[in-house]
Amino acid sequence: MSSYLVKRLSYIIIILFAASLLIFCLYAFTPGDFISGNIKLSPERKAELREIYGLNKPVLERYGIWLKNAFQGDFGFSLAQQRPVLKLFNEYIWNSFLLAVVSTFFTWLIAVIIGVIAAYKQYSWFDSLIMVFIFAAMSIPSFFIGLLLIKICAVDLKWLPPGGMTTTGSNATGFAYIQEVVRHMTLPVIVMTLLGLGSLTRYFRSNMIDVIQQDYIRTARAKGTKERKVLFTHALRNALLPAITLVGFELPGLFGGSLIIEKIFNWPGIGQLYMSSFATRDYPLLMGFTMFIAILTVIGTLLSDLLYSLADPRVKL
Amino acid sequence: MRKGSFLLTSLIIAGSLLLSACSNGNNASPSASSNETASTASNSGGSASPSASSQTGALAPIQASDLSKLPQLAQSRTDTIIVGLTDPSGAFTPYFQQSGYDGNVSSLLYTPLVTQDEQGLPASGLAESWEVSADQLTYTYHLRKDLKFSDGTPLTADDVAFTWTLLYDKGYDGDSLITSIGIKGGQAYKEGKAKTVEGIKVIDPQTISVTLESPKATALLVLGSDVLSKAYYGKDYKFGQLDYIKKLHEKPVGTGPYKLEKFIPGQEVRFVANEYFFKDKPKTEHFIYKTSEGDTWQYLETGEVDYASFSATQENIDKLKGLGFVNIVPYTPSNYGYLQVNLEHDALKDKQVRQAIAYGLDRQSIYVDANQGAGQVANIPAPPISWSYTEEGINPYKYDPEKAKQLLDEAGWKEGADGIREKDGKKLSIHYLGSKNAQTDILIAMATENFKALGIDFQPEVFADFNALVSKVEGGDYDLASFSTPLLSDPADGVVQFVDGELKGYDNAQVKELYDKALSTTDIEQRKKYYAELYKVLNDELPIIFTNYRKTVYAYNGRIDNLVVNPFIGISQNVNNWALK
Repeated sequence: MSSYLVKRLSYIIIILFAASLLIFCLYAFTPGDFISGNIKLSPERKAELREIYGLNKPVLERYGIWLKNAFQGDFGFSLAQQRPVLKLFNEYIWNSFLLAVVSTFFTWLIAVIIGVIAAYKQYSWFDSLIMVFIFAAMSIPSFFIGLLLIKICAVDLKWLPPGGMTTTGSNATGFAYIQEVVRHMTLPVIVMTLLGLGSLTRYFRSNMIDVIQQDYIRTARAKGTKERKVLFTHALRNALLPAITLVGFELPGLFGGSLIIEKIFNWPGIGQLYMSSFATRDYPLLMGFTMFIAILTVIGTLLSDLLYSLADPRVKL
Repeated sequence: MRKGSFLLTSLIIAGSLLLSACSNGNNASPSASSNETASTASNSGGSASPSASSQTGALAPIQASDLSKLPQLAQSRTDTIIVGLTDPSGAFTPYFQQSGYDGNVSSLLYTPLVTQDEQGLPASGLAESWEVSADQLTYTYHLRKDLKFSDGTPLTADDVAFTWTLLYDKGYDGDSLITSIGIKGGQAYKEGKAKTVEGIKVIDPQTISVTLESPKATALLVLGSDVLSKAYYGKDYKFGQLDYIKKLHEKPVGTGPYKLEKFIPGQEVRFVANEYFFKDKPKTEHFIYKTSEGDTWQYLETGEVDYASFSATQENIDKLKGLGFVNIVPYTPSNYGYLQVNLEHDALKDKQVRQAIAYGLDRQSIYVDANQGAGQVANIPAPPISWSYTEEGINPYKYDPEKAKQLLDEAGWKEGADGIREKDGKKLSIHYLGSKNAQTDILIAMATENFKALGIDFQPEVFADFNALVSKVEGGDYDLASFSTPLLSDPADGVVQFVDGELKGYDNAQVKELYDKALSTTDIEQRKKYYAELYKVLNDELPIIFTNYRKTVYAYNGRIDNLVVNPFIGISQNVNNWALK
């Protein structure tokens, strides 16, 4: 086990190095740089600024400088925002995390319940109806559902706020603040849950169908075990096993933010920040964020491998 | 897989939600100009139907018809005005910000020495008056008495001198134009050869003069900008080390009508009235810039914002009228749109070909009719609201395909067998680059027809990313590219691209001479004459093809009194008078 860990960790380090170099080059070679978008500047001043920012140095040298600083925990200042990259992450990521964690929770909860019932009552009217609904939710673009909900719930009926995380100008604290945030996050969470629901429900349904047909389920039923117990204790536990792999993949998604949802609902998350920093070629921020996601992805996969070995004794590391 | 669909959908979003006729202008936003308008101009998907709308420019302000329709949310706000702003990022120190939205924020926190009136002419700000020496080299500013910063400390000529000196530091990485204005001794200071900037002289606490190396009429406004407190921003100043200023970005000390109360990243910037403001203290105690990406309709409709601006399409205006509780005022931003022409390509080097394009492209349909009147055709590099604007002796290049064909014939481009014109065995082909937005879609649809009629092969290419477009243009791989200038405060800003080498392949001694002449005097009547002459030359030569001006409207909560927006300065000049009924 420990030798396995050492091996995995050394792989991880190599992967991250390669990834950082690749990502850095990718951003550096994207046409246009931070200066070129500012049409107000004269050609001389542009050259001067490139000198100050070091953008006229060879890419590998720039990568070296970035790497050296990163090792010292210094991810630099965002060029466009003029503030430390890590501080910006801290300000925006938790907002994205809040949305993601709540919607992921609901997505999994609902997907498991619907998946199990749909599998149990395979080809019933409930199953077909749910599948139609799920396909519909999957195929309608998120911005359409989002805008529709805003129109109905916020503008016409005035039940919920149209966007943002708090009421503008509000000084609410404590419970009142929590209530405010919950009201504001209701619509985005609904849309995100609807979007994620489809694939996950289908996944659980098919896993469950596989498991239900196994011999040990028949045995359990033959013993006279209650159907509820058969389904949720015997069958579901095994059906959930492959889902552990998914848990690891969810990790970067929890922190990555969602561009579209954040844009439509004006949510102060990291997805928006990332997109706008790409448009301005804000290299330190881009690099910092992409590496952060890369690290989470690698850790996520490692985590799911470890979890799998814990949950399933047949898997040995 | 997930990432892929993420990107794709984001492009769809970008294309469908955030389109606006002014997308080029939006992309120009990473300019820290404090004259950016304070608004998120959004055009909800300009429809491409060339509806015949007659109103151009003549749109009169419309008063709110029914204030009782005002949403409860807005009704209950009695001492706060909320305005939407796309994305302020927290760098609120003027000169040191990279985003125009931060410029909007700091324009409320700082007042410039010299501001501008409705025509863009200099007007008194922190400086009560100013003089320009006979040789046009020395500018003397007289500050008002008893000026104070928002922390209560007095503002003197020393602070002004400090501000200018700071911008000549070699570590200064912002985009202020003061660095290129050429203060005497500025270069020596930058290189570390001098302890002070020679040209800056503090005469007494209320008077400061600055000497330039060569005359430049824009200097009055450029130098007459915001003032940083020496006691506050200069405390830790060491030559070449400006990083400490980044720590002060979120705690600005200014001279504007408002001071910063709280910045909540990604959500709002809260202001509170500045009791030390030199004019009347703001009538409304609180002001908030609400971060609002994309569409602002839902916020105006639900009363979450009090003020928003929109493209002046008939559809938008009708919808705003329908709300009943907003006053609607037309507004022309101080910039112009154009097609940059690759003057290094043989065909386009020829003036006649460029003129043929101007005649042959139906700009009225593309920019005005297809936008339901939310535009105006441009023929000179100055907006109609500028004091230098003129139509006298200017060729309007009215859509005239016959004239265009004739010009192409004269230039030696004869129709080939496949209907495409050719000369010396080369086909006349136009490779067009544009940003992804509704206006570009309209242009491509119409231009394809227009150019086909002329016998020109039209190859459009669309970019979702502005920097990529710019870099392709810089690489020279294009024939025509759609751009729009940033907001222009002085007429010189609109023509500088013809003289500073930015337009590769254009070098006209007469243009340069007129440009310099117009800047060598501060006499407005004199300058008007030079610009009129300069515009005539550029209108004839067409080093770029002038396309359009945008027309927008701003709509605001009918409860707000005395709301005036200056097209050059934005809302900051008058915001202290805004009062809630």
